[in-house]
Amino acid sequence: MDTSEETSQSEYILRPMNCELNQLSMPDGSAMLMQGNTAVIAGIYGPVEAKPQKMIYDKASIEVSYSPIKGPTKVDDRMTEMYIKETCEAAIIVTFHPASAICINVQELEDSGGMLGCTINAACLALINAGIPMKFTFAAVNCMIQEDNEDIILDPDSIQLQEAKAEFTFAFDSMDKNVICCYTTGCFTETEFLKAMDRCKQASQYVFDFYRNLVKKYANVI
Amino acid sequence: MEVSVGDVVMPGDTVKDITTITKKETIILGPGLRREADTVYAYKAGVLRKTEPAVYYVDSYQKRYVPNRGEHVVGIVTQKSSDIFKVDIGASEQASLSYLAFEGATKKNRPDIQVGDLVFAKLLVASKDMEPELVCVDSHGKEKKLGILSSDGMLFTCSLSLIRKILNRNSPLFNMLARSQAFEVAAGMNGRVWVKARTIQETIAIATAILAAEYAPLSGIKKLCSDIEKTLLLTQSGNVE
Repeated sequence: MDTSEETSQSEYILRPMNCELNQLSMPDGSAMLMQGNTAVIAGIYGPVEAKPQKMIYDKASIEVSYSPIKGPTKVDDRMTEMYIKETCEAAIIVTFHPASAICINVQELEDSGGMLGCTINAACLALINAGIPMKFTFAAVNCMIQEDNEDIILDPDSIQLQEAKAEFTFAFDSMDKNVICCYTTGCFTETEFLKAMDRCKQASQYVFDFYRNLVKKYANVI
Repeated sequence: MEVSVGDVVMPGDTVKDITTITKKETIILGPGLRREADTVYAYKAGVLRKTEPAVYYVDSYQKRYVPNRGEHVVGIVTQKSSDIFKVDIGASEQASLSYLAFEGATKKNRPDIQVGDLVFAKLLVASKDMEPELVCVDSHGKEKKLGILSSDGMLFTCSLSLIRKILNRNSPLFNMLARSQAFEVAAGMNGRVWVKARTIQETIAIATAILAAEYAPLSGIKKLCSDIEKTLLLTQSGNVE
């Protein structure tokens, strides 16, 4: 389903977003998300039976596996997995399915900047599609500070990122817009950090609106 | 964000109608809604619905089954031990089915069930902390429609929302199909459907009709059934020649 028209208003702020839900037939929920030219596909199995060593008797355990486009998973990919896991854990009501597991699999399709944000957003959409109980939805926004003029650029692509002094990824919850995930690289001052966070917070509303429009479209079909 | 009945809800939305009610009437929160202090939150994405007098729930798309007490399911027997069968019902855990929970079963007269057989059973126990337990009899000890499903039928899976749609009393699907063909169907709330008709072609036709009903509106089901009827007639006449 094409959703590009709906995001045209947000084009000035974020790169156009496109998403297809339920593309995969095997998982319980899946989402293929494109943010600009960055594309990932996420699949969710859950709640399924947990392995005895990973079973937590009073809540669901969340497992995330992130596969890069080529080669084996590296240390950086493990870190991405951890970020996705912690973010999802904050949103999912884990006590609803005790002693079970929720498996989140994310596959990178193309990277042109803002990969972490895209994987987090895809994971959220897949969780929505799988009908996993969640306290709130979450949206990640990427931004950078330019080397020469210290401007903040929201959702930069890989070409813009070459001139970055610092790069940030923030994830916000949909209820109070609190930060639930924060990833930074490079050198920056405290004021720059807070300014970047504020810009991302404003932009996250566009992602939430995109989620809602997407769910609306699919709800009409079913 | 605040939402009211008929709207699309997202996890974390608050339901406006319920919070404003001050009268002392019983409100039932169905699947997809939870209460925290005085506020009602949605925890699934879907459409908020209300049935009279005051039952609220979120109608959502889902593929994975979460057991609920009293629901009918189609399960596959995966293990046989001394006094219970283990049945895969598509949930996070396998359900148990006692060999005494069949009509006329006694300690000496055990039901003849093998691993791999299909059973249509009712959930007697289903809670998040306990293993689900199935029975194939009602409270009078009668089997009625429950029990083992014959192996010459066909089993297929579909989404849980489709099952709710076809089992809805207002759904014309089965009535329409039954006009032209004779068939048996067992639709479990766990998204598994078992069908058996007179011939293989007819069985496949029924299965296709059920799966196609997922994206068809109520008005389109009539056309869908007549289309399938026509195709079936054409293939059958082809076989005779």
